[in-house]
Amino acid sequence: MAAMSPSERRLQKELMSLMKEPPPGVTVDGDQASQNLTLWTVHMEGVPGTLYEGEKFVLQFKFTNKYPFDSPEVTFIGNNIPVHPHVYSNGHICLSILTDDWSPALSVQSVCLSIVSMLKTTAGQFVLC
Amino acid sequence: MAETSEAKASTSPPGGDAGGEEDKRDERMLECNICLDTARDAVVSMCGHLFCWPCLHQWLETRPSRQVCPVCKAAISRDKVIPLYGRGNTKQEDPRNKRTEPENTSAFPGFSFGDGFHMSFGIGAFPFGVFTSTFNFGDSRPSAAPRGTAQYDEEQFLSKIFLWVAILFVLWLVFA
Repeated sequence: MAAMSPSERRLQKELMSLMKEPPPGVTVDGDQASQNLTLWTVHMEGVPGTLYEGEKFVLQFKFTNKYPFDSPEVTFIGNNIPVHPHVYSNGHICLSILTDDWSPALSVQSVCLSIVSMLKTTAGQFVLC
Repeated sequence: MAETSEAKASTSPPGGDAGGEEDKRDERMLECNICLDTARDAVVSMCGHLFCWPCLHQWLETRPSRQVCPVCKAAISRDKVIPLYGRGNTKQEDPRNKRTEPENTSAFPGFSFGDGFHMSFGIGAFPFGVFTSTFNFGDSRPSAAPRGTAQYDEEQFLSKIFLWVAILFVLWLVFA
């Protein structure tokens, strides 16, 4: 087997820990991710007690070979895109840690948590972007 | 004597599994915050966060204008990190003085297989090769080997190979 690049090594480690200890309501498609480490599909359930309770969303993570120095490209895909001021209808997410505020100490898990938390904010708590 | 051995037994965790778990936690304590491996050429920032120097260096290069700690976003710089020298590290060489390998940005469109091997094609000073081989007056090259000897056969064989290589090259130039 060919030697893994640093980005692949890190993605492999993240995949293992995310499959072992996923945050509540988040599941990663492990088979697909281990086949192609640069493209992950993550399933997310709407948090109970919010507008999105009972809904199911699908997130796509795309990684470049510069990961973790480059942020992943994260979008909602599929036909159920959450209706939220920070989520465009095409699935694009307006979240600072996915662009300017990205740091290599962040991970897929922390991005998932941020998105869960973003979907918890209710009207009046956010600023438009 | 019996007392001490009993005390030892009670402090050591029962069973191998718990020990392994503890080892794992100890290992995780020393993981680089960027590559998530055990830190290699470890440095620690003023804010106390541990990194491999190559990882941190690459992050500092990524955003030279805004150098912040990846974990806590405190200001960080090359001069304000402290290298860590463990007992196993006998040389105690500052990792910051080591040459960090340049990142492999395959800007050159050649052929590369894996990490080590790189191959490229090119035509160097093409017209001059013709002149140098055609207008070689007055140089005394050794005369051809006499017909029938092994050397003669070898020379004929080689010249045929080169002729075919040249023909294939011309065909490739025409059709590719």
